[in-house]
Amino acid sequence: MSPLANLPMIRLLVAKDWDLFQRQLAAYVGAGILALALIGSAKPWTFYLGSLLLLVVLVAAACFAISTSLLTERKERTLGFVMSLPVTPLDFYLAKIAGNLVTFGVPFVVLVGGTAGVILSTPVPDGLLVWSLLVFGHVLLAHAVSLSVAMAVESEGWNTFAMIASMVLVNPFIMMLGQIPAIAGPMRGEAIVWSAEAIAILSTQVLLSAAVIGFTGWVHCRKRAFY
Amino acid sequence: MTAALTLSGVCKRYPAFALEDVDLALPEGEIMGLVGVNGAGKSTLLRLLGGLALPDRGTIEVLGHPMPAQQVQAKREIGLASEDMRLYGSQTLRWHMDLVRAAYPRWDEAYAGELLRRFDLRAAQPLKAFSHGQRVKALLLLNLARRPRLLLLDEPTTGLDPVARAEVLEALSEVLRDAARSVLFSSHDTHDIERLADRITFLHGGRVIDARDTAAFLDDWRRIVCHGALPASVGQWDGVASVRANGSLSELRVRGAEAVVGLLRAAGADVRSVDPMNLEEIFVATVRGGGKH
Repeated sequence: MSPLANLPMIRLLVAKDWDLFQRQLAAYVGAGILALALIGSAKPWTFYLGSLLLLVVLVAAACFAISTSLLTERKERTLGFVMSLPVTPLDFYLAKIAGNLVTFGVPFVVLVGGTAGVILSTPVPDGLLVWSLLVFGHVLLAHAVSLSVAMAVESEGWNTFAMIASMVLVNPFIMMLGQIPAIAGPMRGEAIVWSAEAIAILSTQVLLSAAVIGFTGWVHCRKRAFY
Repeated sequence: MTAALTLSGVCKRYPAFALEDVDLALPEGEIMGLVGVNGAGKSTLLRLLGGLALPDRGTIEVLGHPMPAQQVQAKREIGLASEDMRLYGSQTLRWHMDLVRAAYPRWDEAYAGELLRRFDLRAAQPLKAFSHGQRVKALLLLNLARRPRLLLLDEPTTGLDPVARAEVLEALSEVLRDAARSVLFSSHDTHDIERLADRITFLHGGRVIDARDTAAFLDDWRRIVCHGALPASVGQWDGVASVRANGSLSELRVRGAEAVVGLLRAAGADVRSVDPMNLEEIFVATVRGGGKH
């Protein structure tokens, strides 16, 4: 049966996840907006505090979306109930991807948009936009990797490791960006410079995220047990 | 008559357990009880039928739908409740009812309301505030009110207090009166199975060791009490599952009692009584006999 034919069930599962997690996600968006307000006030200490808070909020939202929609479902044994509904493993996979696009994607897009708005409309240098989007790109990739591991691997230990490791790598990633003159150079200026290096990194992040998610679907549809 | 379910040569292997070469069929409208000790393969069998696990070998058909190819169509007509299946603790029973109602067009809201009253459940209460018995009843409500053609129940009465157990069994008895509905259920409690099932399947060590209708099981097996010495070879006779001596009395558990009683009398034994056995005794005798009878 084509997943398109079972679209109402996929929609139902996405709505279920949204129902379950919307309150917590609203709290993350609220914290993100506070972080943006701190960044926007453009004093050095509020800028650094706001940036740090924004990163924490993004990482927490990514981990929360994965752990509540997948790991908790497995741990609390509600997965059997969900899979007993008229769905195939592919429907479940598509629902989880779509559900995460909503539960993580909504705060993510709000915060990306908010960050761009703050950078462009306040005294914060506009050149910071490219650098910020690359950091957001890393969080997106880390979320895709963690989501894939959560779908493919049942071990709680490996899942925790994948989440922490991929998110913590944002630190060396930021340091690496600082070592690339074509990215670090324009950060303090008013010009938004999309260098070849920046485009290459962002494209790699987006393509890798899509590839990881696609490969996970292939793995998931070959699983032999769903409870 | 069409089959509610058929399994042919089904195998499912896990690192510490394997379900081997299971052939089983349940005609539509009948009730089959699965009897087996822990780890016999009852839950695995029910998960395979419910589409929660895929067989390594063999074919499964549920209500005419090959599994897993047509699992969506099959699952639309199945109700599956298992002992280890949980609902969302943070959400109310009403939330779960709305979710299931959206997934099953045959959901019967009036019947759901009736079950709420009968099971004394509060729809507005979050599941985390439910006792174990209430959770079991809530899961049963969500399955029964979708009006399934096939009901798969894994240990539906395990861990329930006597009152909750009676309520669940009454609800099940009512469901079972619907001649169009087929039920496969497992239970540790052989009394439940003896009371409700038309057919019984014994599972042991991942294999079906016997499967027949309930009346045939109960008619076939007898407990024979004899006085005096018995031939040394009596334990090897056809149909004799066990022999236990207690002083001058010996108790035999046999299948096909008429022939064994004849042989005992011919050997000079004093047969004092021939009594029916209950399902639990029959199951134990079958397992000890390796299912060879």
